[in-house]
Amino acid sequence: MFKEIFLFELKYRLKRPATWAYFSMLLVFGLIFSISGDVPASEKAFVNSPLSIARMINVVSIFGIMLASAIMGVPVYRDLEHKTMNYYFTYPITEKGYILGRFLGSMFILFMVSLGFNLGLILGFEIGPFVGIIEPERYTSLNLWHYIQPTLLIGWTNFFFAGCIFFSLVNLTKNIMLAYAGGAILFIIYLVGLTLLDDIEFRKTVSLFDPFCYATQINITRYWTPVEQNTLTVPLTKTLIWNRLIWVGLGLIIFLYTLFKFDFIKFANYKFKAQKKDLNLDKANPNAALIKIPQVSQVFSNSLNFKLLFSLAFLEFKNIVRDHFFKAILIAAVVFLIFDAFYGAPLYGTPSLPLTYYMLEVKNFNFVVLIFILIVFMTGEVIHREHTVHYNQIFGALPIPNRLIYASKFLAIVMICFILVNLVLVSGVITQTAKGYFNYEFQKYFTDLYLIEFPRYIIYTLLAFFIHSLVTKKFLGHVITIAIWATLFALNSFADIDNNLYLYGYTPRYIVSDMNGFGHFGPALFWFLFYWLSFGGVLLLIGYLFWKRGTDSGRKARWQIAKERLNIKTIGALIVLFVAFLGSGIFINYNTKTLNNYRTEKQQIAQTAAYEKQLSKYHQLPQPKVIDVKVVADLFPENRTSKIKTTMLMVNMSNVTIDSLHLNWGQEALLKKAINSFTIGGFTPVLGKRYDNFGYEIYAFKKPLKPNDTIEMILDVTGSYKGFPNEGYGSEIVYNGTFINNDFFPSFGYDISKELTSDKDRKKHNLPIKDYIFPDQNNPWGKDNLLFNKDGDYINFEGVVSTAPDQIAIMPGYLQKEWTANGRRYFSYKMKEKLDYFYNISSASYKVHNDVWHGASGEEINIEIFHHPSHTYNIDRFVKSVKNSLDYFTKYYGPYQYKQIRVLEFPRYDTFAQSFPNTVPYAESFGWVGDFSDPDDLDYVYTVTAHEVAHQWWGHQITPSMTRGANQISESMAEYCSLMVMKEEYGIDAMQKFLKEELDRYLTDRANESKFEKTLLNNDTQTYVWYRKGGLILYALQDYIGESQLNSGFKAYADATKFSESPFTTSIEWYDYIKSVTPDSIHYYLEDSFEKITLYSNKTTEAKYKKINDNTYEVTLQVESKKEYFGGNGELLTTSSDPNLLDIAIFDHDEKNKKGMTVKKPLLIKKLWVKPGKSTLTFTTNKLPIKAGIDPYNKMIDMIPDDNLIPLEEVTD
Amino acid sequence: MNLQISNLSKTYHNGVQALKNVSLDIPAGMFGLLGPNGAGKSSLMRTLATLQQADSGTVTLGDIDVLNEKEKVRKILGYLPQEFGVYPKISSYNMLDHIATLKGVSNKAERKELVESLLNKTNLWQFRNKSLGSYSGGMKQRFGIAQALIGNPKLIIVDEPTAGLDPAERVRFHNLLSEIGENTIIILSTHIVEDISNLCSSMAIICLGEVVIKGNPITLTEAVKGRIWEKTIEKADLVNYQKELQVISTYLKSGQTVIHVLSDNQPDLSFKPSVANLEDVYFSEITTRMEAMPV
Repeated sequence: MFKEIFLFELKYRLKRPATWAYFSMLLVFGLIFSISGDVPASEKAFVNSPLSIARMINVVSIFGIMLASAIMGVPVYRDLEHKTMNYYFTYPITEKGYILGRFLGSMFILFMVSLGFNLGLILGFEIGPFVGIIEPERYTSLNLWHYIQPTLLIGWTNFFFAGCIFFSLVNLTKNIMLAYAGGAILFIIYLVGLTLLDDIEFRKTVSLFDPFCYATQINITRYWTPVEQNTLTVPLTKTLIWNRLIWVGLGLIIFLYTLFKFDFIKFANYKFKAQKKDLNLDKANPNAALIKIPQVSQVFSNSLNFKLLFSLAFLEFKNIVRDHFFKAILIAAVVFLIFDAFYGAPLYGTPSLPLTYYMLEVKNFNFVVLIFILIVFMTGEVIHREHTVHYNQIFGALPIPNRLIYASKFLAIVMICFILVNLVLVSGVITQTAKGYFNYEFQKYFTDLYLIEFPRYIIYTLLAFFIHSLVTKKFLGHVITIAIWATLFALNSFADIDNNLYLYGYTPRYIVSDMNGFGHFGPALFWFLFYWLSFGGVLLLIGYLFWKRGTDSGRKARWQIAKERLNIKTIGALIVLFVAFLGSGIFINYNTKTLNNYRTEKQQIAQTAAYEKQLSKYHQLPQPKVIDVKVVADLFPENRTSKIKTTMLMVNMSNVTIDSLHLNWGQEALLKKAINSFTIGGFTPVLGKRYDNFGYEIYAFKKPLKPNDTIEMILDVTGSYKGFPNEGYGSEIVYNGTFINNDFFPSFGYDISKELTSDKDRKKHNLPIKDYIFPDQNNPWGKDNLLFNKDGDYINFEGVVSTAPDQIAIMPGYLQKEWTANGRRYFSYKMKEKLDYFYNISSASYKVHNDVWHGASGEEINIEIFHHPSHTYNIDRFVKSVKNSLDYFTKYYGPYQYKQIRVLEFPRYDTFAQSFPNTVPYAESFGWVGDFSDPDDLDYVYTVTAHEVAHQWWGHQITPSMTRGANQISESMAEYCSLMVMKEEYGIDAMQKFLKEELDRYLTDRANESKFEKTLLNNDTQTYVWYRKGGLILYALQDYIGESQLNSGFKAYADATKFSESPFTTSIEWYDYIKSVTPDSIHYYLEDSFEKITLYSNKTTEAKYKKINDNTYEVTLQVESKKEYFGGNGELLTTSSDPNLLDIAIFDHDEKNKKGMTVKKPLLIKKLWVKPGKSTLTFTTNKLPIKAGIDPYNKMIDMIPDDNLIPLEEVTD
Repeated sequence: MNLQISNLSKTYHNGVQALKNVSLDIPAGMFGLLGPNGAGKSSLMRTLATLQQADSGTVTLGDIDVLNEKEKVRKILGYLPQEFGVYPKISSYNMLDHIATLKGVSNKAERKELVESLLNKTNLWQFRNKSLGSYSGGMKQRFGIAQALIGNPKLIIVDEPTAGLDPAERVRFHNLLSEIGENTIIILSTHIVEDISNLCSSMAIICLGEVVIKGNPITLTEAVKGRIWEKTIEKADLVNYQKELQVISTYLKSGQTVIHVLSDNQPDLSFKPSVANLEDVYFSEITTRMEAMPV
């Protein structure tokens, strides 16, 4: 009997067009991804690497919950809907056979449908090499196991448990809404997991509980290098197995409950009960014949229609919101938002204050997916409502105009959208209140939610309406709409299609800032929203033409209806909307393309390739160097314009005669520049040649510049913006928070750092692969130029800057004078000391906090903090860090070169801090609004400030040459210095937290490397090497040889190289000084760290103690150590068998230090030479030991840092 | 005001031709549409009720072009579909009030009076505040009638309205229909011949999408008067009779098989003359066209 029901289900499903529609949709998705190579794999991994296949199958199974609900929600519901249950249930079948048959039949179909994606991938990966979008060598041969394994492990298990849940929910409650709610809540659990994934602390928990195994899989493979990605399938770790057991188990339990609980009578009966109760009342009324039906007047007027429109819409709206499950979804969504807002926007694991813009931003990422799906579901329900209850015939024959019904349904969803945007408001205010932050800034909420987000939701609704009107099958409509959206998303994120004009509903990104509010983004957002609303309006109208009223769903009939509805009014509306759409599209295109030179990613790459092909002949061409700069800058923030005149004194420092000056303005950017006047040596120079596409100009000197000749150049340039771009913030000059640097003016000659670096792109454009950008450490040209700017060594600087009357403008140097003229505010600055050629001009409505640092020998340095008036939260931390840094650096590396140090805030269009001579600009979101109330959270303001102050030495005093490895002298040193300043203040335990973050980032970034990982000695571009690895290595080195010992080496190095003339210093010289202070026994560590790529895998496998007496405990540890050398692509080279010096430590209970921070309390800590492999070590302590392990502070670069320290167990004889 | 249907045709997208050149002239009063299942009655009625497109042909109601001026039709239409559902959680009072609003009854007092009288008329008054989901089949059907009567419809289309009603309900329903004003066109489809002969002044029989005969039920019955003969036979002999005579219907009477035969003369003496009724007209038209005979 089960067999018959099962086979019937299969046959039934196989005949349904929807089944094949789902299958083909997945097939097409698979083909698109595989042929276009839009896969989650870095450039060095195969597009069909086992990991990339596993990840795709995983992601598809997440969005596949849609399919699971469509396929698993209906098999039993069908009998209710079509009323077949009335007889079907009377057949001699058992409930269990029926349920099991329907369930397994549908599940089988679901599994088969899901294989459409696998099939698409397999075919696509075979076709791909011949299509040639991705170079053929990135395809590896077919290995079926790479599909079977993740399908069984992740794909099907996801479908299975989701299917169980949908099947059961619908059968137990007979309510399709519940299936939606179930799906939404699962999705929210998944989103919560994604949010938590940013925090290392939560990773393990998330791995265990992510319903879709996505986080689990990501965490397992996070550090996989391309070699591993290409060869390994996701391994069955304990966490993964538990995760699968939990969710499959949950699904199974719910299903079994349904299986045993399901009862034909109960399922079918609720009508019977009610009927019996009332039966005795249902007697004929003898007077009925006498009752006259009164004549009534009927009015069909426009005003009445208008009223009807709203009352119908409101009725629909009430129908949706009255539903308990809809409410459940809303509550779940708010919970998610609050959750995201609570943990959101952390930096280094430290949260930010709940500012309104953070509250608003939680809606921007994963939440949109939920909203979109919800809108699609609700639209489907609303459009099909009459049909669902079989009321469509009566309703269809009522004298309500089509447009009224259609519009009222649309309006109902618009009302729902309004509820949805307000969820963000509600959750934001709740979160802020809960965190004790009461500056709600409702005008920000209203502007962002009502003017930008609400129209966006309406745009989604328009699409959903269109599809649901055309497709009369509800679930098919859901799936198609979501597939369209997923395709747009995939095109945008993977296929580098980023023209918002072609991606339905997309608008340029914008950022809300405290300093600059909504800035200048209004017009772009307005036009894009207008454009999509018009287009959506066209869709809505086309949907209206085909929208089904009545019973006829034949294609011919629907065309007939469409023709009928295509009357003057609809044609007129269509034309108006279409003209609005087209007109705004043309206007947008004029702004993005004509005015702002929009290029596709591909065109951009081709342009960059052409730049190299045409201009690299000028590389290393001798050019004069700037020695003196005078600037007169007039900033007009209110117009986003600035007029800047620079007078530069240039010298020919080379030993050849220079006959022409090469000005490199760079490719056209958002900030347009117009030359007002330009003279060299007092004459207007003659343009010799101009490369228009690259902004590269060659001017002949009137008189060739002989070695050591000096000449003055005056360049007066106006910078401004035109219209609005497709993307890009244009953040140099803004209403409040202007931040311009010396890039405003052209550089001299060819800029090698603008070349293409990706191997893939270079191959495509027939350029040789380029391993390094900068020349090696012995290259004379490289050694003759400074890293940050080859156009000048050390310069003199002075200038005058004017700005709006309510703003303060800042340039390098000391303020000489400040005055007001013509209603504008003027500042004149002069730097007494030399600085490297690297300056910025800033202007904003600042408040200034002043402080003074007193040095050991009585010197004074002024500390000035320029901040947004309301951002006073962490100023003390900045000041303290500056002071402690100055203490430390003057003590160990020599005096500070200036008399002041300034920290200034700029709007959050970027998240970084940067060190200019005597000035440190700091992004609004980077520290100013951090929430450091929890002492266990990392005080990154302190750390980062120390890093930037350290650059005043390492970068601005010891300025390295333009050779590979040189960045480590600036960045790794600054990182090391900040670690030292931090250690003094916060102690070794805070360090571990920070180092673990650093290690995580290092391991993650090297796994995603698209070229090859470079060594510390040679690295020229990889930030994770110079910050993360550099910091870790130098920190461990000072731990080995002693902080002051290492600092003495650095001091000697600084003395030898600071403010030097060319040739400038290289990483070889730096390394030599390090070697000179390191004992021979530790030289192995230097080689491992600076010259090779070395990873440890240390682990404590067993830790036991025996109590000898009250004061003596014998501790036995079993540790495992491994040290491996890797190649740049992550390939294992050799495994070391030499012993390494490693920390072994035994700890008491954790305790709280004076700052309230939880710290470890060592009972014993020793550095021991540990052989690779297993070792057993025995120690005695005089207190009860709690935990113990190898390298417990994570000083080494360890692939799995979490298994080093474990609790001790007591053994008794 | 007559409803003029001329040359109406409709083929469904699965190839079934539901209506073939249907032409009818329907005057005010009760009009019966008779035909076996699948004859095209519902297709015709849905087309008249603006719920379905026609491929060709015209339908006019006075000066309204029914196929193209759907909105005008809907304003004077009352429609009771063969099958329909209701919003289970709404009471009949609220639902009728809502539908009345949608039908343009915007005066509140009038609407109240109308809804109350309809509820009384259809014997639903006691249940007016009960949710529709709890209604029995008969109550639901009565609710369906009530909603169709809202707004003084000039054209009332009721598709198999008495299916599923008990005999008493059926009578009440007939009474209800017959009370409706005289200048209203009421189209009633059924496969119960008796309904038509009781109620309708004109009728048509539809079979396989075609109108096979139309006219006044009495006149139509006159045409077969004296040509219907009946005989009680052995069941086994049926096949032989069918070969030789035009057997139009077979039914059982006290467990014995009785046949009706259409013939100008008495076939033989064992046949008794039978009083012709509408059912004989129906079967005489249908049997020649339908292969399967009801036994």
